[in-house]
Amino acid sequence: MGLGLNYRRSGGGDFLPVCKYDARAGRAFRVDREDGQNNPVDITRNFKAVFDMENIEVGWIAFPKGAAPDFQLVPLGEEFPEEGPTPNHKQGTRFVIKLSAECGGDCREMASTAGAFLDGFNALHDDYIAGSAKNPGKLPVVVLDDTIAVESGGGNNKSTNYQPQFKIVSWVPRPKDLKPSPRGKAAPSRPSAPPSTGSQRVEAPQKAPAMAAADDEDFG
Amino acid sequence: MYVMERILKRKAPVGAAAHRGNAVEAGIAKGLFDDAPLEDCVSEARKVFSGLAALSGDPRKEKEITAIPAMVKAGLQELKPYGKPSSAQGKIEWKVEGLFVPVIGFYDFEWADHGILVDLKTTHKLPSKISTNHARQVALYNAARGNNLDTRVCYTTPSKTAVYRLENSDEHVKALEKIAFAIQRFLSVTNDPQELASIVMPDVDSFYFADPLARKNAYEVFGI
Repeated sequence: MGLGLNYRRSGGGDFLPVCKYDARAGRAFRVDREDGQNNPVDITRNFKAVFDMENIEVGWIAFPKGAAPDFQLVPLGEEFPEEGPTPNHKQGTRFVIKLSAECGGDCREMASTAGAFLDGFNALHDDYIAGSAKNPGKLPVVVLDDTIAVESGGGNNKSTNYQPQFKIVSWVPRPKDLKPSPRGKAAPSRPSAPPSTGSQRVEAPQKAPAMAAADDEDFG
Repeated sequence: MYVMERILKRKAPVGAAAHRGNAVEAGIAKGLFDDAPLEDCVSEARKVFSGLAALSGDPRKEKEITAIPAMVKAGLQELKPYGKPSSAQGKIEWKVEGLFVPVIGFYDFEWADHGILVDLKTTHKLPSKISTNHARQVALYNAARGNNLDTRVCYTTPSKTAVYRLENSDEHVKALEKIAFAIQRFLSVTNDPQELASIVMPDVDSFYFADPLARKNAYEVFGI
């Protein structure tokens, strides 16, 4: 898949307000914070936002109950550890959106580890890649066109989640307030080999300025 | 060696190869800064070597002094086209959050107009790439100067010279930081130098212990 997710990890910090997609209900919420309380506002029907697809983070995320989420993320395209830091960390993604005026108008982060959401977001990413060549320097305006019920498991373990069907309706220049704001950084996977030191021979610079003109044998 | 020399202060003299490195550098510096003729540069290098190695009992002393003229010549051939350096032996100080003392070093030559910094290494065998330790050393210089330098290592032998450009500077600095923190953690174990010495063991076959006095010190300190 385009996001390259098969595992998960990412960090923490002080951050943007949240926009949440509940895959079990197939609903999108703007989570407002008032008097220390979270107040989810359902914006499913009119969900519309500019998605910062240039700064997607992927990796490992944990959403512990009653505590702040833990993100161990890297920018999309970079390697991240093949295993999460704890069994509670699941592979996921995080990105920032700017809601349309009717949805609230502010910039918020979205993050999820839900498979149904990731599938829907992955499809959006494919659409973004396909359309970005014709819209250089622009970001997509995305609506939640539909949600599709996806059943998994069987018997008593059978469950239904709702995959979002995001749709790009237009492309716009990056809004001024939609700035990259990485949430956290995972230690990248340790490379299998040490970094190279340098074996490229180089010459003296072309235009020289006016010139007044580990073994026991390596010493400066 | 670190425990023995730095913590217990049981130092052994450096070998003739180290003196050769300093001597060749002095000769090349004379050629680069003063545009001095080769014979003067060689003379300077020999003078420096004689001064440094006057009391050295290293049997390789003769071999090293013999190699000096060719090394100076080869090094100058490579570095003269760079022009006159803007500075030499500049002190570098790299501060790392959480590290109690800064990491310091001294680079060999800088051409500020070109943003090039070169560290000179003398050796009898020309390597095909920058050694890991040298990479860390020059990566430190680059980091301390804002990571915007073209950092190079010039290896000079009596017959050949090669200048290699440093790669993966950030990674080498990270390695250096890890090493520095490891040393800091080691030193924090105790204030007793003898106790620190009791938890490490040297490889006495390492060239670091080639000097008879170093070997003797190791035996007295570590008992092996």
